[in-house]
Amino acid sequence: MLLTMDMSESVASAEACASVDDVLVAAAKRGDRRAFERLYRIHSARVYGLCLRMSRRADVAEDCVQQTFVRAWRNLAKFEGRSSFGTWLHRIAVNEVLSHARNHGTRSESDEEEVTQFDQAVREESHVDAADVMDVERALQSLPEGARHAIVLQAIYGYSHEEVADMLGIAVGTCKAQVHRGRKLLRQLLGLPEVES
Amino acid sequence: MSDPKRDPLDEMLAKLPQAIAPERDLWPAIDAQLTHERNERRGAHRPGWRWYQLAAALLLVVGTTLTVTMLVVRHEEPPLVVERQSDESVMSPQAVATPASFGGYRLDDEYLRARVQLDAAFELRLKTLPPAAREKVERNLADIRAASREIADTLAQYPADPLLQELLLSTYQSELQLLTDVALSPSAQPSRVEL
Repeated sequence: MLLTMDMSESVASAEACASVDDVLVAAAKRGDRRAFERLYRIHSARVYGLCLRMSRRADVAEDCVQQTFVRAWRNLAKFEGRSSFGTWLHRIAVNEVLSHARNHGTRSESDEEEVTQFDQAVREESHVDAADVMDVERALQSLPEGARHAIVLQAIYGYSHEEVADMLGIAVGTCKAQVHRGRKLLRQLLGLPEVES
Repeated sequence: MSDPKRDPLDEMLAKLPQAIAPERDLWPAIDAQLTHERNERRGAHRPGWRWYQLAAALLLVVGTTLTVTMLVVRHEEPPLVVERQSDESVMSPQAVATPASFGGYRLDDEYLRARVQLDAAFELRLKTLPPAAREKVERNLADIRAASREIADTLAQYPADPLLQELLLSTYQSELQLLTDVALSPSAQPSRVEL
């Protein structure tokens, strides 16, 4: 849906969402659980998409989404609105995924069940050329973890290298190197020609 | 950032959906966890809601008892006193174990001496009341002391709880008020009637 909007519509929509978020966050800070549920309804799919792409497992992504919103509720008073609420949630979600990986280890890259689960989830959300999307998603899932995390945050969710580095707890230079490495691998996997920098 | 129109990889990445709906609604689990945490926090700070309900109920009993006793003692004039009786069933104040101190409150020797005198005056006046009034006063006093014991037992489990300390003090004060009111109530001159 968003892909069919022109730039002005997207900006207007983003501003409207931010305004709705502000109202709901203010109510949730006062203890209004219904307002917080509305925030969940608005943001959960983007948070889940991020967690699913980073963890590659639906069950882990669900756990991470759940813990992200629980943690967000606990720390709502600390949210000062310097970033958007969605960005704040993404930071918490990234922490949850990284923390889960630290505590439980990372599963093998070639787990067929994970790929099938992932394909199914992404296919349901794709409104454009499904074959292309699935090819890119599969290629993305086959990237090494560090490169995948950096590409997901930078290329799909639009965060700057500085923001990605901050979220992942790595140096900006490391982030740039991971993105570069990831893009190079993606080109190879997708059969795209090298682009001169 | 490079122009997506010039780089096919960026163009392909831009087509990926940012939002992917989870297969199931995760809100009920989140809501349940938040509710559980809230209840745990409340439980950690307070000695259980049921104790407050019990304490409130006991306080209501004490208040009601005191009111009824006052009405009985002040308005029920003894029509006839047939004979003074020595009733062993009258509950002695000493029979009730009263903690010497709790929380920030201390029941000192002066209080205990005054209490003995009050008990003596109360018992003396109680014996002059008609049987029905005496029975009511005794029953109400027993209610107050039962409430006092319940609160003291709960306080033993949660000795630092300020609300329970206040409730216990309030119950003691109610008991004292009842004893004082009965002891100082104007006595009707007993008259013996020969039938």
